[in-house]
Amino acid sequence: MEQDSILQMQHITKTFPGVRALDDVTMTVKRGDIHAICGENGAGKSTLMKVLSGVHPFGSYEGRILYQGEEVTFANIRASEEAGIVIIHQELALIPELSITENIFLGNEPMKGGLIDWHTARKRAIELLARVGIDIDPSIQIKNLGVGQQQLVEISKALSKDVKLLILDEPTSALNESDSENLLEILRGLQARGITCIMISHKLAEIAKIADAITVIRDGKTVESYPVVAGQVDEDRIIRAMVGRSLDQRYPEHTSNIGEVVLEVHDWRVEHPAIPGRLVCKDESFYVRAGEIVGFAGLMGAGRTELARSLFGHSYGIFQSGRLSIGGKDVKAQNVEAAIQAGLSYLPEDRKVLGLNLLDTVKRTIVSANEKAILRGPLLDSAKEVQVAEQYRKLLNIKTPDVGVGVNTLSGGNQQKVVLAKWMYPDPQVLLLDEPTRGIDVGAKYEIYKLIQQLADEGKAVVVISSELPELLGITDRIYTICEGRITGEMATKDADQETLMRLMTTTEAMA
Amino acid sequence: MKNNKRIIAVAAAFALAVPLALTGCSGDRGSGGGDTGSGFPADATVGVALPWLGTQNWAEANDMFAEQLAEAGFKPLVQQADNKVPQQQSQIEAMIEQGASVIVVGPVDGSQLGTQLEKAKEKGILIIGYDRLLENTTGVDAVVQYGSIRTGELQGQSLLEGLKELKGDGPYNIELFAGGPADPNAPNFFTGAMSVLQPKIDDGTLVVVSGQTTFEQAATLDWDNSKAQARMDTLLSGFYSDKQIDGVLSPNDGIARAILTACAQAGQDQPVVDGLDAENESIVSIWEGHQYSTTAKPTDKLVAKTIELIQAAQKGEALPEPTSSTNNGKIDVPLYELDPVIVTKANIKEVFADDPSRLELLK
Amino acid sequence: MSKENGIKGGLKQVLGGDLRQFVMVGAVIVALIIFQILNNGRMITSSNFQNIISGNAYVFTLSIGMVMVIILGQIDLSVGSVAGFVGMTVAITASEYGWPWWVATLGGLGIGALIGAWQGFWLSKMGIPGFISTLAGMMIFRGGVIWMSHSISRPAPEELSWFGAGSLPEWGPNTGLNNSTLLLGVIAIAAVVFMQLRKWKRLATAESKPPLWPVIVRLVVIVGVIGYLTYLFGSGNIGTSFPVPGLIVGFLVVIYHIITQHTRFGRHIYAVGGNKAAAALTGVNVSRTYFLAMFNMSILAAVAGIMFIGRSTAAGPSDGNSWELDAIAAVFIGGAAVSGGIGTVVATIVGGLFMAVLNNGLMLYGVSADQTQVIKGLVLLAAVAVDVLNKQQGRPSIFSRLSRKKAAPAEIPQEQIATESAA
Repeated sequence: MEQDSILQMQHITKTFPGVRALDDVTMTVKRGDIHAICGENGAGKSTLMKVLSGVHPFGSYEGRILYQGEEVTFANIRASEEAGIVIIHQELALIPELSITENIFLGNEPMKGGLIDWHTARKRAIELLARVGIDIDPSIQIKNLGVGQQQLVEISKALSKDVKLLILDEPTSALNESDSENLLEILRGLQARGITCIMISHKLAEIAKIADAITVIRDGKTVESYPVVAGQVDEDRIIRAMVGRSLDQRYPEHTSNIGEVVLEVHDWRVEHPAIPGRLVCKDESFYVRAGEIVGFAGLMGAGRTELARSLFGHSYGIFQSGRLSIGGKDVKAQNVEAAIQAGLSYLPEDRKVLGLNLLDTVKRTIVSANEKAILRGPLLDSAKEVQVAEQYRKLLNIKTPDVGVGVNTLSGGNQQKVVLAKWMYPDPQVLLLDEPTRGIDVGAKYEIYKLIQQLADEGKAVVVISSELPELLGITDRIYTICEGRITGEMATKDADQETLMRLMTTTEAMA
Repeated sequence: MKNNKRIIAVAAAFALAVPLALTGCSGDRGSGGGDTGSGFPADATVGVALPWLGTQNWAEANDMFAEQLAEAGFKPLVQQADNKVPQQQSQIEAMIEQGASVIVVGPVDGSQLGTQLEKAKEKGILIIGYDRLLENTTGVDAVVQYGSIRTGELQGQSLLEGLKELKGDGPYNIELFAGGPADPNAPNFFTGAMSVLQPKIDDGTLVVVSGQTTFEQAATLDWDNSKAQARMDTLLSGFYSDKQIDGVLSPNDGIARAILTACAQAGQDQPVVDGLDAENESIVSIWEGHQYSTTAKPTDKLVAKTIELIQAAQKGEALPEPTSSTNNGKIDVPLYELDPVIVTKANIKEVFADDPSRLELLK
Repeated sequence: MSKENGIKGGLKQVLGGDLRQFVMVGAVIVALIIFQILNNGRMITSSNFQNIISGNAYVFTLSIGMVMVIILGQIDLSVGSVAGFVGMTVAITASEYGWPWWVATLGGLGIGALIGAWQGFWLSKMGIPGFISTLAGMMIFRGGVIWMSHSISRPAPEELSWFGAGSLPEWGPNTGLNNSTLLLGVIAIAAVVFMQLRKWKRLATAESKPPLWPVIVRLVVIVGVIGYLTYLFGSGNIGTSFPVPGLIVGFLVVIYHIITQHTRFGRHIYAVGGNKAAAALTGVNVSRTYFLAMFNMSILAAVAGIMFIGRSTAAGPSDGNSWELDAIAAVFIGGAAVSGGIGTVVATIVGGLFMAVLNNGLMLYGVSADQTQVIKGLVLLAAVAVDVLNKQQGRPSIFSRLSRKKAAPAEIPQEQIATESAA
């Protein structure tokens, strides 16, 4: 048993001022395993990995780490990398303007006579890329690669450092289905070469597919840790352990009460902002009724986000033609402010990049899309602001001690609730929700689903854009599929299944 | 709620009471007035506000004032303003705070110290302008300086003599440089020099090839050597591709050396260049035969004259008779003007006979 | 909760949650006391305080506009040149064209507005980064000053010296103080008391009421400080008072504090600086926000330039040289972030005041200009470094480092753990 394990973390406790992020965590990783770590956001997974990789140096935590049978005391990331432990973060650490080769060997360049030996570097880059199954010119700049390929370059970079223990933090959260599938394949390949992987993931289906062992962390403590057989994993057991309660259903029950058409879009045509002549939306039409939750299913880059944003005050691309009406009235909003005025809300897909000002407080964020409502004369009424924020804090169960704190102190799920509150406050008739549950944990997802249903029950028209088909199948009433700027299909959710949707998402032939 | 109202009332009462309480305990406010006539203690504080330490003469003045004022029994307070007007304004105010009896001001800009100098004047502080005129204010009692027009005349004469001596017969090709426009002395230097040169330009002995003969055209912003060098480079490439330059009027030593550098880089023969301030580097340059002359305004004489005035005032005596007076825009200011000395290779050892540090350079 | 936490919590309540501003205020007070001792009591006197305020009013004025530009994530390098340009324009129109002083002054403000529109245009409509467009502006207006003045200083209208260095009138009964200053102090105290109590009342809802005692403690402290300052400024020589330029700055601080904290425009500045893309998707007109901030900056630069020539009695060709750097230093000592989104007007003024006190104290102590520069540079670096260390994630703040020694790992509501490692 002892010889068999590559890593033992024993009684790790890590406190931040006032917060005990890890509380006596113990886990063992066997050599050659793919070991999944699950837990809700904020449970302490990332902190644990930071302790392991030296981001939190030895001395700043309590407990022992045994690696390859010996106690290790990493002072920084470099020390852990030298020992063969490489961590790949969720936000990729590649430099967009540099080539693949330069990125792979950044800080670790092969030298010859005091100069960088680019010839060797390039040769080794090609080898490394082959090991992760991609065959591209390593002199291409990172910015020209898709997210999936960038992820693979990160892994190549890890391989270049002679990695023995590879840690992946949410490796597939930004990938589409086929890229995710590919990545999992590659992890299996690495496993075959004797590399041990620790994978942090929210996606239980992936864990079920490839994990050899699972550790569940909740509130900074290990809940359970056990070996599994790939393909025979009890997902419900994981969920129960993560949330500490049984989730009979991942999607709340809901009976829709559908009314008149609220949002109507006719022959919407949008040109790409940078590439003249290329259309990102090709004369498409659709509608959403009051009280209805409509899903938009499409792969990344299919034009879902682009469509939603161009509807939202032409905030993406170059509007060419088309008609948009809300509640029977034509809307000619050419900027976001006018779109909000007309009753539209758009919750952006990338919370941190587009949804939030992370420097701002919760209360200011909640009122930010509807500041007019708290004006008293020319000035903003700060007391009313607090009242409004408190009201939403209770309504959405936002976990924060005070609405005056910065949104950056909240967990992902709670940040997303703040963004949702921000878009509920203008009291829109139509909500366009772009990936409303991305990167948040199971418990928070469930709450957000309930909120979406509540909004629909209030008679609002809700559009949910998502890459996760089970989610769309779980909460929508009707689904449109999008591929390459075209709506390729429309069906009632009760008639839909994943395979049909996937087929329509990957074909440009419109349904008969 | 009732209870809270009472607390509010108490707080409000307290809020109003505090300043009143404070006013009660004060009383005597001075009027700030004073008088100059009757002298001041022999160990009084003497403030010296200098513009900066960026040139040798200011650095020398800085050290000499500190030393000699202390020797004379005063408490010297010598500060430099980094060539910034607001900094100098604050420094003068600080000197007033420190109870200085005399403030010597080498101004960054002599016209922008009105508020502070008048404040000092009200306090009865003796104000002496050093090296530069203090303009547009009633707050000045005397100005000690080298006659700036006279300095310019000497520079012009020296340039003419040099040309005759080194460049044979005319006509001579020359260019003109002037000093920093914000320095009230700079136009005077130029005016003085031009009073000598203009007749020779008119009769064709001197040719200003670029045609740039006004002060504005010839001025060097902030006395900045690099700007002068850049201008010389431009003139040489623009007007002297097929000519030799024979002489350049330079307002000071730093600019003179910049001009010589520019000429050397352009492959020109060494022109006759005058200077000002007798900086060490220029003394060496003259000794080695590069720069033709400099105009020495020995800092020690100026400092000595200033201290002489201070000592007279300390004893309550009337200030000695000024050499002249000038209107500074508000009042007539007594001027104590000294004559500068032209230094060439011929007389350099005599001029610095009792200046060991400079003699050291002449080896 | 341990005792330390109780004290800390109490302090926090009194100070209103924002400790960092008060750390800077504390630094100013400590500096004053140190210099008071070093300079044998010459530091904290009415005339020296008057000097500090009127000698730095132009920097304070510039830094108010600058902090808004920096919160936006931009910078304005041209403010010094613009101030110099406007000052020279006013002096020339008044002294050579014989315009009445107030016409010349209004003309100067108008020119400031035009320049602001120019700067705003290049940033907001053409998308040229502020660093570049204002670098160009710096050259243009610096050259312009020298060009139009022929590098000769011009006398400023005498009336302006009241704005740049003047005192408030003496009137009424002999209270031992300048009565104008006394009146100002009373108004300031009344305003503060009213605002604090109103804020407390409005926060109180039917079910919960925040405790009143922190408000009272806070008021006692603030009233004490204002009262003391009133006494200090008012008890100077007859004919002196709280300086007029200080009054102008105080007025501007109040106005701009309200603009930045309590208007939509102010919110938009923070929103754009914090996350431009998110702000745009929230309905903020990004380009208008850019324009207004730059526009406003140049107008304030004009005000600063006019105040300065009033104090200097003349406009000089080198006026405004490197003033932008003083303003920028004040902003960063006040805790603003280079990347934008962070900073406040009040903290900036405190930062500027700190530099002013330091400069003045060193001057009184007779430290030479070169050494003063070195010290100021080191202080700037230290202030910003402390700030950066404080803001770094996972690091204890200075305050908690001081009070942590005995404090047990506090019980925190479970949800706060979520702050670490959000996905």
